Amino acid sequence: MKAGPSRTNRPDNTAFTQQRLPAWQPILSAGIVIPGFTLIGLAFIGVGVALFVTSQKITDLEIDYTGVAATSPCFKCTSFAAENCMCQMEFTLTTLFEGPVFFYYGLTSYYQNFRTYGVSKDGYQLSGDTYYFNNPQDSCAPYQYDSNNNPIVPCGSIANSMFSDTFQLYQVVNGMKKQVPLDGKGIAWWTDYNIKYSNPALVNGSFANAFSGTVKPVNWSKPVYELDPTDQANNGFLNQNFLVWMRQAALPKFQKLYGRIAEGDYAQGLPAGNYTLLINYSYPVISFGGTKKVVLSNVSWMGGKNQFLGIAYLVIGSLCIVMAMVMLIIYAKYKFTDDDEDM
Amino acid sequence: NDCYSQSYPQLYEPGQRSLYFSKGAFIKCALHSCYSSLVLFFVPYAAVRDSVSTDGHDIADHQSFALLTQTCLTVTVCVQLGLDLSYWTAVNHLFVWGSLGMYFLVTFTMQSDGLHRLYASSFPFVGTAHNSLDQVTVWLTVLLTAVLCVLPVVVHRFLFMQLNPTINDKAQPPPPRRRARIRRSSTRCSGYAFSYAYGYGDLVTSKRFLRRPVPLRSAGSTPAGRSAAFRPAGRSAGYSPSGQ
Repeated sequence: MKAGPSRTNRPDNTAFTQQRLPAWQPILSAGIVIPGFTLIGLAFIGVGVALFVTSQKITDLEIDYTGVAATSPCFKCTSFAAENCMCQMEFTLTTLFEGPVFFYYGLTSYYQNFRTYGVSKDGYQLSGDTYYFNNPQDSCAPYQYDSNNNPIVPCGSIANSMFSDTFQLYQVVNGMKKQVPLDGKGIAWWTDYNIKYSNPALVNGSFANAFSGTVKPVNWSKPVYELDPTDQANNGFLNQNFLVWMRQAALPKFQKLYGRIAEGDYAQGLPAGNYTLLINYSYPVISFGGTKKVVLSNVSWMGGKNQFLGIAYLVIGSLCIVMAMVMLIIYAKYKFTDDDEDM
Repeated sequence: NDCYSQSYPQLYEPGQRSLYFSKGAFIKCALHSCYSSLVLFFVPYAAVRDSVSTDGHDIADHQSFALLTQTCLTVTVCVQLGLDLSYWTAVNHLFVWGSLGMYFLVTFTMQSDGLHRLYASSFPFVGTAHNSLDQVTVWLTVLLTAVLCVLPVVVHRFLFMQLNPTINDKAQPPPPRRRARIRRSSTRCSGYAFSYAYGYGDLVTSKRFLRRPVPLRSAGSTPAGRSAAFRPAGRSAGYSPSGQ
């Protein structure tokens, strides 16, 4: 080799620069693919069985109270003229509904995932920044100012459409109604309650004064500082039901947590018997073809009742094993044919 | 490498016949993409529909669903990438595992409490990763999606390798190893013994046989079938030695 200026441009003779790095070369050989598929298939079938069995054991009960049918107890509340209408739905439990029981309200055909609906809120207002109380962001339009040009707090479509039905559950014992306590604490995410949303500071010792100069959302019956006057920790933007509602759902059919049944006589769950659900019906859904329902459910290590994962794992596991056998047959057939050709 | 290119000119055929970049190849790729896209949306959709988390809270909310779909996608892409990589050098390991790790690192950072406190409007997903990535069903959904997207590709490739092997599958390296096994006459290999066999000229004249060879290929790649160890389906990023 001649020494000279060309030598200075030579790359280093290391493994990295000369592409001689030690490499592992995975190959799709029969010895790896077929046992691999069998193992995956068996593992998936195992997981699928566990998921399916667990899901079968979870109980859930749905009570539709939209009141579309004339025979429904809540039909009287569906007319527009009805205000503060109360209706009662009755149901019976044949066995113990194991606790802790979670109480949800569910809506269908409700598109909280609609884009313009989803951005229609003011994050600054909701974190207690009072400057934005008087100057709500444009993303809240048309629920930004009311007809008299007063700023709305909390502004936006999501807050304005907050679910307003309330529920009380009673067990009928010896002809008498015994209330089942619904625990509404901690139903929202910890991060929502502690980090994402916060109330404005009190003004002159009064919470209502912090909102002076603003009006409540158009569809609300009471302003945000009266959502829970008895408990300041649950009032204003930190109201648990408000936080649960503001966490917009991804799908048009959703359920949101309303309360937990885990105290007192019902710590073990709901015993068998007759129950009455008293509903303060004020949220209109019939105009857009939606339905409302109450869902009672218990949970397990995999969450709520969901048949899909268990069945999917079982199906995929079986398919894997079938494919492993098919591949083995094809491989064996072609291997033996080839060996014959070589001879 | 250059030795193979000269000894196996048939390897140039797929390029000349546009085997890997033709309308047919494009349609196959598009079909695979359609299938993967449908799986990547509908499997998470069905998994969180009407479901709740282990403490009763919401798991089907907009932000958790977005995070779940995104995680499914990233993991599936990394697994598919791992399948397509022909040579796993240290650099490949770093980038594949690093990508996955970076994704989770960035997700947790962007959805942390601290960043939200600093710039609230830019980081609205606060708490989503923390609340949803500790659910068993979320991880089982990710695993199911990755398997559903990648295993059909594996089956397709394996069957086509058996039934209709391409020139890449059929090309074999020069067989010094096989002959060494058959001979078995002595455990000491000398240049003289090999110098009469075809393909050993370079070996003898290069003095490499005098030094103890360092094993450069680790286990897991010896084929049991008839297709031998030469299998690049794409570009080879590293160098695979021809066996010492």
